Amino acid sequence: MKFAIALFSAPHSPASRRALRFAEAALAGGHEIVRLFFYQDGVHSASANIVAPQDELDTAAEWSHFIASAQLDGVVCIAAALRRGVLDAREAERHGRPAANLAQGWELSGLGQLHEAAQQADRLICFGGH
Amino acid sequence: MLSHSPFSDGRLASCLRLLAAGDALLLTGDAVYALAADTVQRQALELMPDSVALFALEEDLQARALVSLPARLTAVDYSGFVDLCTRYARVNSWL
Amino acid sequence: MARSMLIVSRQSPWSGPGAREALDIALAGGAYDLPIGLLFLDDGVLQLAPGQHGATLQQKDLTANLKALSLFGVDKLYACARSLADRGLANTALAPAVEILDAQGLAELINRYDQVITL
Repeated sequence: MKFAIALFSAPHSPASRRALRFAEAALAGGHEIVRLFFYQDGVHSASANIVAPQDELDTAAEWSHFIASAQLDGVVCIAAALRRGVLDAREAERHGRPAANLAQGWELSGLGQLHEAAQQADRLICFGGH
Repeated sequence: MLSHSPFSDGRLASCLRLLAAGDALLLTGDAVYALAADTVQRQALELMPDSVALFALEEDLQARALVSLPARLTAVDYSGFVDLCTRYARVNSWL
Repeated sequence: MARSMLIVSRQSPWSGPGAREALDIALAGGAYDLPIGLLFLDDGVLQLAPGQHGATLQQKDLTANLKALSLFGVDKLYACARSLADRGLANTALAPAVEILDAQGLAELINRYDQVITL
């Protein structure tokens, strides 16, 4: 089955870890993930500037690693990301900000990507809140 | 699918009103506290019609040391969680 | 045929960007001519109360976004009767106009859509 997964919570939220474990289990079960879409506070998952304490789970790093190793499409809503300070080099330059912090392997794009994923998938699964 | 504590939040009550025959409720995160014994939330779950199935994420039950769970509850791991999503036509997460 | 999506908006217009970001999902879907429904539930019905003034809080109010829904072809708008009644809005003229549904109607509504996003 084809899943589209949308995450609405920050990487320090339990919902983010839950979404990640779900996504891993979906692939392990032989399913396909057509896209991971990050909206609202979920956009922080794509920040390269998160430093988790050494004895704590670094969910943002795990997301980046998961997306790279499974070669998934990790898309961050551009409007939500700009509002929360997650910028790629192009946006940083366009808005005169000193640095870009979008981690490697992620892409800023519009909400159309969420709808496109929902059209391609058999199920849209959203994670958010706590 | 719920993930907020039912003691500080209206999502459980709101969600229960929308459930129809053939639906299932999956409790994750702090939403599993709705299964705590001697609470009105637990009572509300027990009173759901038999046609509504009740599931909870096992890791969340274990982490919170929730025991003496209702007989109608099925605990699932992540693989079971994925299976549930394939079995039901749509998944409505209360963010 | 395109898969349909019901967006369930549960946030007050004054609790942060959540309400606006829910509307943005609906507007984006409308822009792609997708079959989109929008349900106002719980505090989400507060978005429909008339005469709100965002400028007082240095915010854009949602009125323009709500009006844009019909321009983007999102005209399947619903509100929960109980949520309205609980918030003293049972007899208020709402803007934009929505179809008001009881619990039975809401359960049927959700089952008519392929995908649901509640936020």
